[in-house]
Amino acid sequence: MRRSPTRNSSRTERPQGNRQGGIPQLKVFNRPRRTCPFSGPKALKIDYKDVRMLSRFVTERGRIMPRRITFVSLKAQRQLSTAIKRARFLALMPYVAE
Amino acid sequence: MSYYECIFIARQDLLQSQADALAESYEKVLAEHKGKVVKKEYWGLRNLAYPIKKNKRGHYIFFNVEAPAEAIQEMERQMRFNEDVIRYLSIKVNDFEKGPSAVLRNQEREDNIREKFARDYADRSEDISEEMNEENHAS
Repeated sequence: MRRSPTRNSSRTERPQGNRQGGIPQLKVFNRPRRTCPFSGPKALKIDYKDVRMLSRFVTERGRIMPRRITFVSLKAQRQLSTAIKRARFLALMPYVAE
Repeated sequence: MSYYECIFIARQDLLQSQADALAESYEKVLAEHKGKVVKKEYWGLRNLAYPIKKNKRGHYIFFNVEAPAEAIQEMERQMRFNEDVIRYLSIKVNDFEKGPSAVLRNQEREDNIREKFARDYADRSEDISEEMNEENHAS
């Protein structure tokens, strides 16, 4: 009987300390958020012939990297994935690297 | 008239001259259908990322073409019949790139790196042989 209230209270307390609320959000680092490498002034150009550039957006096994890791914009990611697929078709890049 | 980028890969057992002749024959086909090859690049005998029809390497030939769609269709049709062509791809583009394409640019860069490495290595081996000579004299 005594355990349940304590458990409840710990449950209500948890979100404070843990995730978004709770700890006051101090901006310790004022680091700018990473932006899309294909937009802005120093933008890379998406080209299916440029294997050196494309290989930065592919895992070691040759899979296309997700946007959440590379910060590529949605529009650029679509163009990028077709570019990678074209490069694969022309055997410039592997479908599966071993 | 539209702009196209056409690439085809020729079999590895062809000589470079044969691959060039093949490219010229396709240029002729395009010309017959009122097409025009604006730029032609030979990327050399490159390693393929994976084997295609038992080929490990292939001659890459790249065209920038200004031609009507029928010309491209006819060229692709003839490429299908030819056993020497193992892959082909034609892409419609809005504008041509100026200067050499990325493949050639990267190749050049790699060559430079390799050259530099070879030079460094040669320098170092000279140093080593000199040192060895000195040691011999000392003894």
